[in-house]
Amino acid sequence: MSIKTESVSLSFGNKSILKDITLEVKPKEILSIIGPNGAGKTTLLNMITGNLSDHNGEVYYDSRPLNTISIQERAYIRSVMSQFQNIAFDYSVMDIIQMGWLDHKFNMISSDLENYQNDVIEECDLQSLVNQKFNTLSGGEQRRVHFARTLLQLWQPPNANDQNYLLLDEPFSNLDMVHKLSMMRSIKKRAAAGTGILMILHDLNLAYSFSDRIIILKKGSIVKEGDVQEMLNEDLLSKAYETNIMIDQDPINIRYY
Amino acid sequence: MQALKDASNQIKTYFNFISYKQSYILCCLILVSLIFVVLAITLGSYGLSIFEFVKGNTTAIQNTVLIEIRLPRVILSALVGASLGISGAALQGLFRNPLADPGLIGVSAGAALGATLIIVLGGDLFDQYSLGIYLIPLAAVAGASLVIFMLYLMTRGFGYEGVTYMLLVGIAINAIAGVGIGILTYISTDAELRSLTFWTMGSFGGVTWPLLTPVIVMILISIMIMVPFSRQLDLLQLGEQEAYRLGIDVQRLKYTIILTCAAAVGASVALSGMIGFVGLVVPHLTRLIGGVNHNFVLPGSAIMGAAIMIIADLIARIIVQPAELPIGLITSAIGSPFFLWLIFRIKRL
Repeated sequence: MSIKTESVSLSFGNKSILKDITLEVKPKEILSIIGPNGAGKTTLLNMITGNLSDHNGEVYYDSRPLNTISIQERAYIRSVMSQFQNIAFDYSVMDIIQMGWLDHKFNMISSDLENYQNDVIEECDLQSLVNQKFNTLSGGEQRRVHFARTLLQLWQPPNANDQNYLLLDEPFSNLDMVHKLSMMRSIKKRAAAGTGILMILHDLNLAYSFSDRIIILKKGSIVKEGDVQEMLNEDLLSKAYETNIMIDQDPINIRYY
Repeated sequence: MQALKDASNQIKTYFNFISYKQSYILCCLILVSLIFVVLAITLGSYGLSIFEFVKGNTTAIQNTVLIEIRLPRVILSALVGASLGISGAALQGLFRNPLADPGLIGVSAGAALGATLIIVLGGDLFDQYSLGIYLIPLAAVAGASLVIFMLYLMTRGFGYEGVTYMLLVGIAINAIAGVGIGILTYISTDAELRSLTFWTMGSFGGVTWPLLTPVIVMILISIMIMVPFSRQLDLLQLGEQEAYRLGIDVQRLKYTIILTCAAAVGASVALSGMIGFVGLVVPHLTRLIGGVNHNFVLPGSAIMGAAIMIIADLIARIIVQPAELPIGLITSAIGSPFFLWLIFRIKRL
């Protein structure tokens, strides 16, 4: 049970974007991918989700090759949140959140789903916003709406217990620290409940204080992968980012996580 | 009133993701359309009463006028309105662009060019075979599909960025098709081609049952295929990438919408010429009164389009009787200021 890539490579024309990537997103685990701009982090995510398919090597969802799983079924296995563009029409916040209801689910709108939806709305602090127009919200608020939608996509009927995964591209951008913290709690909660989590993060402090495992990606290759402690290495980070990075384990620091 | 409530409950259980208010609006729209149908059948340069007809108190000539002239005309106007309305709504959803309209972006023009081509070049063919009555709508559908596929290629998959670009391409296609139709009407002495005004301004006159039947079939089938894709169109608003991640076969969705819109628009243009702005105005009005989710907007635009077109045709017939105005004149008179208002409102062109 895991989402796995096996020596996956991808190039656009003769420009190589990803080289020989092998990674595994395991249940109950938070895996973060860090690395400088242009390392191919988002491209890697797009490949794992199946948005990009013209690569070498294979992506597996729970040991099944991705191309043998229907597009619809993939949506039940993994829920994705990434960067967003404008929406052309005036959908309400509730409309957007409910876009996370997958097909078989809205044929039988159970009270369980309703309850779950209400919990998610509260979790993302959206109670006062649900009736507003999505386009009038601020960037951070829109982010929380999309996060709520992504969480709704993870919903399962009470007796089902399928393995699922949450894939997040820069989930905390634009968020104030209170909402950052509560989003982190939500993610931790999902991980504890068995969901496998993959995040792309830019903030190293966040990544290190929050993940179980870390992958450093640079120029399309994995530099190193390991537990947080193992990856807490000034040389390693300095080389990866080509700048001097110091790790101060006892800082005067306003910690909110 | 109770019946209306029951009916809206029925609609609400049939369409998921439609609010009680929205199903209520749909019911009211249907009711209004039915009233318009009765009005449109009754009024005109030749006085008729549908109630007398039902009672059987009408003369033979009255029956003929009602069944052979008035009724097909009203049905055609309703269907054309429905097909333009729902196609406008679906194309706006597909392009993620509130300014898409089958007329503005050249789809109707492509259909008209296809129809005129087959009338002029296939002249012999369709005198001899009854196939001819299907050939014209099919050629129109081919023209319409060609234009939408061209737009698709030129805007690189309908990206939201390409709004201005798409409208410019539409202007060019409209101009090219206009030239083509102009030349064809000029060189053709064939009475079947009708006038240039017919193709550019539209008319519901002179329609007969044999011509109407294939169009009824094509439009109704297109609408029935389109409506179940409403939810997918909603999700597409998040972007193609997100829609795919939510389990939607985006490719299939696109081709379905393209082909059904082309079929609906092509079929209606083949019989009624180009009628502008309906596909733009109707979906916007529908969104204004009831909300933006496609489960409501698609059926709502179809019904409202039908209602508006019936009443527009009624006005065209009775305002200068016994002559009549081109229907496109009336829709454009209402639609073009609306278009201007929309451009000012949207600004992010």
